[in-house]
Amino acid sequence: MRPVCPALFLAAAALAQNSPYPVDVPAARIVKALDEPQNWLTYFGDYKGVRHRALNQVNTVNVRNLRVDWIFQIPTTGRFETVPLVVDGVMFFTAQNGHAFSVDARSGRQLWHYQYKPAEGTADGLNRGLAILNDKLYMGTVDGHLVCLDSRNGQLLWNTEVASAKAGYSITLAPLAVKDRIIVGVGGGEFGIRGFIDAYDAKSGQRAWRLYTIPEKGEPGGDSWQADSWKRGGAPTWMTGTYDPDLDTVYWGVGNPGPDLYGGDRLGDNLYSCSVVAIDPNTGKMKWHYQFSPHDTHDWDANETPMLLDLPWKGQMRKLLVQANRNAFFYVLDRTTGEFLMAKSYARQTWLKEFDAKGRPTPLPNTEPSEQGTRLCPGLAGGANWMAPSYNPDLQLFYVPYREQCDIYFSSPPKFVEGKAYWGTATRGVSDEKEWGVVKALDPLTGEGKWEFKFYHAGWGGTMSTTGGLVFAGDADGYLVALDAKSGQLLWRLQTGAEIATAPITYMVNGKQYVTIASGAALITLSLP
Amino acid sequence: MRLLLLWMAAGALWAQSGDLAAGRAAFVSNCAFCHGTTGEGGRGPNLTTAQSVHGRDEASLRRVITKGVPGSQMPGFGNFEEPSLTDLVLYVKSLSSRSAGGQAMPGDRARGAVLYQANKCAMCHRLGSEGSVFGPDLSRVGAGRSAAYLRESLTKPAADIMPEYQGVIVTLRDGTRVSGIRINEDTFSVQLRDLTQKFRLFQKDEVQTVQDAPRSLMPPYNLPPKDLDDLVAYLASLHGGPAGNQTKQAEGIR
Repeated sequence: MRPVCPALFLAAAALAQNSPYPVDVPAARIVKALDEPQNWLTYFGDYKGVRHRALNQVNTVNVRNLRVDWIFQIPTTGRFETVPLVVDGVMFFTAQNGHAFSVDARSGRQLWHYQYKPAEGTADGLNRGLAILNDKLYMGTVDGHLVCLDSRNGQLLWNTEVASAKAGYSITLAPLAVKDRIIVGVGGGEFGIRGFIDAYDAKSGQRAWRLYTIPEKGEPGGDSWQADSWKRGGAPTWMTGTYDPDLDTVYWGVGNPGPDLYGGDRLGDNLYSCSVVAIDPNTGKMKWHYQFSPHDTHDWDANETPMLLDLPWKGQMRKLLVQANRNAFFYVLDRTTGEFLMAKSYARQTWLKEFDAKGRPTPLPNTEPSEQGTRLCPGLAGGANWMAPSYNPDLQLFYVPYREQCDIYFSSPPKFVEGKAYWGTATRGVSDEKEWGVVKALDPLTGEGKWEFKFYHAGWGGTMSTTGGLVFAGDADGYLVALDAKSGQLLWRLQTGAEIATAPITYMVNGKQYVTIASGAALITLSLP
Repeated sequence: MRLLLLWMAAGALWAQSGDLAAGRAAFVSNCAFCHGTTGEGGRGPNLTTAQSVHGRDEASLRRVITKGVPGSQMPGFGNFEEPSLTDLVLYVKSLSSRSAGGQAMPGDRARGAVLYQANKCAMCHRLGSEGSVFGPDLSRVGAGRSAAYLRESLTKPAADIMPEYQGVIVTLRDGTRVSGIRINEDTFSVQLRDLTQKFRLFQKDEVQTVQDAPRSLMPPYNLPPKDLDDLVAYLASLHGGPAGNQTKQAEGIR
């Protein structure tokens, strides 16, 4: 990322004083999202997934004065996992169970509210946020639809069914706007779906392409599935991907094969489960793939952020893709070719024997789930998971939030019934050992840890980094903390009153920097007095 | 062919039908953790005895498996759906039909009740509305724990400590040690209840250390074998209602 001169971005922020509402976010603006640090234009804040902002009004010296500015209470229960968008003083966000809101980003006062009504019989569900393109917003739904809203008033413009809820599909992620298309993935890896990634025309809602993440018989990779197991093999795509405009390539994480914990009916590598796939957004064709966990039986999906960094690798600048994978390893790939460059464990792991030169892992013996239970680290939930990492380019540190835990993995063959749970049994926590949460700072070129901050409980909170020398993170007990980006030292904390299961954002309006986090039924925004 | 493979993978050699085999596999993977691999109990009750306060008919088993037992350690397994649930219910039913009322308890429960008083168990435990809230409520302990588990809890209390009765030791800056049952702990604070029932509340940056107690706060009881049998027999007979809990909760105690 290019460093941004503080004077420049302060001037840009000042221009936003009288919000040009309605907003307009053409694709070219998203490409340069990091050049307008006062805004938060995508789920990750930018296309590369760095979640870093060149804002330093709140910094290591004054963060102790940070205090709650406003709280927006949502009218629904369930886990609040949204990441808001902020465009020129206007905030847009979703809540679980189909709600979307627009508020004044300075006061939290509501501009409009939309509620989607899912198909009858569909369970309530979480939602992680919106995409914006031009003057329209895009939201996935618990019953597998993609809806388009008018950003001016929250009116529904179109509603397209992406996949059938009855067959186990859902959409929880924030869609990704690329050029004139909206890209979405699906959840349902525990329900015997066949995963895919779709692109829709942003104006009409017509599907432009579909890339199945499980090839059928006869296609390349089709022979990595036993018999007809590919038809219900999972490989969901439930987290937002990243995009490199220069290479015109979208990168998307693919989830675990199903049934999750029983692999006896799906012998083979089970491509492209537990992989990252590089996609041409124009055609939906796969450019390359790398599989982190071939024939996974531990639910170690690869839906974690595929972050894009440009760094000198062994003396030569390279376009890299880095991921802290759920299997407890931090990976560095060449994102032009998919070449495996390095992997190093960032959390406790007891499964790997070795990697070959191409990055294919050989597991240790007796690491498969079993009828009697197999004790293994990391646990089913990771390691890392959807909790967002972030990256400070000035310090060259990658901040990964993860769960330090192990599990006992049980396995037995399940029966397949369309749309029903298809787990292949379950895990149990290891009761004689503590679990905890961690935010760890890594050197992305070596995977070496530089510092770590421990949370008492393993949680689901993500991180956000700023040029103010801060890393913000949330924890399972409801604490939002600000850490020193260089040392990991705790500088400030707030007890928000409920579990934090998403990542904070920061933005600026009228020359004032804000930090926002969703917690419980509240969207909490903080600033300096 | 596919079905045959499933049977073989389940490894259920004694089973007479495919459903029972699948039910056993589901039991071993999901239930054995508490009820033992053969269903004869552990942390959870023995399922091979015919008696059960929650019923052994199919509807009751379905309810208990999917919803759990409120106020007990039995969680709801809501992810069990058909046909796996039917298989599991069939298997659990088959467990109780294998036994003709369970093994007779060797001890004298009336004498056990006297020993309960003599050993001052009520200093920490409660029966109904009598006793202390420091340790686990024993009003229904016979319904939820096997005799073997109860015996082990008396002789080796640290063998299995429920998380909500984990002991914590806080060392203050002046070296004073405060111990009690952990009510709550997070990254920055810890709240505990001491032996005198007082809440003790600490911020971690104001104390030296916060540690889990290495052993159970309950001392091991080295009773003569006859006394142990009698006390276990008494505890195993406790199938009372949750009135004690409710009374204490009404008084503002969790």
